[in-house]
Amino acid sequence: MSLPSAVASGAGRIVRWGLHDVLGRSASQLPGRVALAIDPNLIADLAPKVREGSVVVCGTNGKTTTNNVVASALEAAGKSVLCNRDGANMAAGVASALLSGPSADWAVIEADELSCVHILPGLRPTYLVLLNLFRDQLDRAGEIEHVQDSLVSALASSPETTLVACGDDPLCVGVARRAAAAGTRVLYFGIDEDLHLPADRVPEARFCQACGAELSYDWRAYAQMGAFSCPNCDFARPALDAAATGVSVSRSGVSFDAAGPLVGDPARLTAGFGGVYMVYNLLAAFVAARLAGVSANDFQHTLDTYRPENGRLQRFVVNGREVTLNLAKNPTGFNQNISLLQADERPKAVLFSINDNFNDGRDISWIWDVDFERLAAEKGLVALAGGTRAADVRVRLKYAGIDSAVTPAVEGALARVASLPADMPLYVLTNYSALWPAKATLERLGERHD
Amino acid sequence: MSAMTKSLRIVHLFPELLNLYGDSGNILVLRRRLAWRGLVADVAEVHVGERPSFADADIVFIGGGSDREQRIVCESLLAEQAELSSFVEDGGVLAAVCGGYQLLGHSYLMGDEKIEGLSLVDLYTDRGEPRLIGNVVVESPICDHPIVGYENHGGRTHLGEGVEPLGSVTYGHGNDGVTGQEGCLYKNVLGTYVHGPLLPKNPGVADYLLSRALERRYGNGELEPLDDAAELTANKSMYDRLMAGEVEEQ
Repeated sequence: MSLPSAVASGAGRIVRWGLHDVLGRSASQLPGRVALAIDPNLIADLAPKVREGSVVVCGTNGKTTTNNVVASALEAAGKSVLCNRDGANMAAGVASALLSGPSADWAVIEADELSCVHILPGLRPTYLVLLNLFRDQLDRAGEIEHVQDSLVSALASSPETTLVACGDDPLCVGVARRAAAAGTRVLYFGIDEDLHLPADRVPEARFCQACGAELSYDWRAYAQMGAFSCPNCDFARPALDAAATGVSVSRSGVSFDAAGPLVGDPARLTAGFGGVYMVYNLLAAFVAARLAGVSANDFQHTLDTYRPENGRLQRFVVNGREVTLNLAKNPTGFNQNISLLQADERPKAVLFSINDNFNDGRDISWIWDVDFERLAAEKGLVALAGGTRAADVRVRLKYAGIDSAVTPAVEGALARVASLPADMPLYVLTNYSALWPAKATLERLGERHD
Repeated sequence: MSAMTKSLRIVHLFPELLNLYGDSGNILVLRRRLAWRGLVADVAEVHVGERPSFADADIVFIGGGSDREQRIVCESLLAEQAELSSFVEDGGVLAAVCGGYQLLGHSYLMGDEKIEGLSLVDLYTDRGEPRLIGNVVVESPICDHPIVGYENHGGRTHLGEGVEPLGSVTYGHGNDGVTGQEGCLYKNVLGTYVHGPLLPKNPGVADYLLSRALERRYGNGELEPLDDAAELTANKSMYDRLMAGEVEEQ
C-alpha cells in the first residue's frame, strides 16, 4: 500500500471509529469520503484486500436486495465478505465498505449506475451484475443513453470483468452488446417463458437499440422486460446462460426453476417475498453466487432465512394491523408495487409518500408516468398522500379517479386508519429519503413480522 | 351522446417518443377537465410512421423527448409543416413543452449540429452552459395563479419581435437564464420549458387552452368553474416553499 493510501485508510478508519463507536452513528459514507479525499486511488489500493474475487451489482431497481442476498449466500458458504449492505452505493460508500474490515474472501458491492465508472477501474471486479435500466432521477442522472454510455466506459476500464446482464431488458442488452464488441465477456440471465401477465406501461426502450425500429415482443414480464426482437435487424433477446422457468408469483412470494449452463444442475428456488421483479433479482443473485462457488443448497438456505432489513418489503404489526413498507422511487418500481397491491385481495389502505430531497431527485414529474389508474377500481381502497410533495401526489391521485387525504408521515397514516378494521392492511410506499424515517417509526411503534 | 354535446379533438403527437417527464399527464388533465364539465375529449395519438391530420384538430400537444427521439419527430413533422402552419395561423391551439417547444422555432442545436425546426413561431434555440435545471415559477397573463413546475434544458431560446413570452420568471431560469422571460405565446400557440406535467397543478393554463379551443370551435370559450382546491393547494405549497428558499436546487 502506498503512503497516501495508508494515511487515507488510516484516516478513514479513525472517522469510522469516531462515528460508529463514539457517536453510535452509521458509518456508511463519511469514512470513505474522508479517505478518498486524501487518496483518490484508494479503491485500487484497497482492492487487494479481497482474496478470491468481487461482485458488483448495479441496475436501477433491486440492487440492494440482490447485493445483500449474494453477500449472505457467500457467508452461508463459509466465506468472509466485505459489503455495503446499507446501500451507500457511490464511490465513498464503496471505499467505506472496503475499509470496514481487515481483509476478506469476497467483496460484494452495490454500485450506483453512474458511479461504476469511478468504482470499476480501481476495484476490477470479477463480475458486474446489471439487473435492469429504467428511467430514474433524470434531473440528476440525465437520460438513459447517458447511463448506458457511462456503463460501457466503466467496463472498458476493467477488461477482466465479466458482465452478467439481464437478457430480457433491451437497455441492458444494448450495453452488453457494446461492451462485448469491445472485448468484455458477457453472460445473460432471464425468464424463459410467458407469464401471461397483463401488460403494464412501457415508458422506455420501445425502440431497437441498434436501428431505432419499434421492437416486437413474444411476451413481456413487466415494463420493457421480455422476449423482444427487432423486425428490422438482428437486435433481439440473446440466448440465456441462466433461465428461470416454472415461475410462480403470489402474495406469499415467488418460486421458480433456475437452469442453464451457468447454473449447473437445475434448482428450484423459493422466497417468501416479492413480485415478478424479484424473480429477476433472485435469479441474478443465484447466478452470481453460483459463479462465486456457492451451492444451490446454501443459496436456498439463505433465501429461507433472509430478512430484509432495509425497508424493502418489510412487514410489521402495529396495534394488530399488518403494515408493509416498501421502496418505490421511479415509475417502474411504483408500477411493480401496484401489482403487489393488486395481488392482495383484501381491502387496504395505502400511504403514497413522495419526497423531493436531493437523494430523491428534485423533479417528481415521473409520478405522472405511474399507472395509479390501475388502483381506481380497487374496492374499499383508502388512499393517503404523504411526503414533502404530498399535495402533488393528491393531485395525481385525483386525476386517476382516487380520492385521498394528505397525511405527512407514517404516524398520521396510522392515526387515519386507526378507526378502520384491524384486518385491513396498511401499505407504506415511499421514495428514498422518506424510507428511513418511515422504517424507524414502524420499528418504534410496531413489531417485525416476517 | 346527445347531438348538443360539445367535444374537442386533441391530437397528441408521438406519445411514445415525446414522454420524457410524465408528459402524458397533460393529456389526462385536458381529458378530465372536459369530462368534469360534461364535454367530450376525443384524443388521437399519432404514432411513428403515421401521417397526422390537423384539419379537424382543436388542440395539438407536443411533449419533450431525448435528443435522439426529438430528431426522429422533427423529421417526420417537417413533412407536415404546411398543414401544421395553417392550423396555427388559423388560431388552432398548440401546446409544446420542453423539447417540443424548441421544435416550434426556426432551428435548434443538437450538439453542434443545427437542426431545422418547424418555423411555426419566430424563435430559435442555441445552447449554453450550464444546463438550466431546477424548479421554476412564472407569472403569466394567461392565468391568475403563478405557473409552477420544473425545467431541465441546455438550450437557450430567443424570441423574435412580436412574439410574447408566456410570462416572466420569478424563480428559476426560463428561456435563456438572462432575460427573465419564459416560454412563448403566439396566436394560440403556447410553448414553455416548464416540462412534463405542466397542466396538473397549473389548472389555469389547462383552462386557457380549453377555452381558446372552445372559442375557436364553438364561438364561446366560457368554462364552467371546477373545484380546483387540490390543484391550487399543490401549486401554492410548492410556490411557498420555493419563495421561502426552502428548496436547495442542485
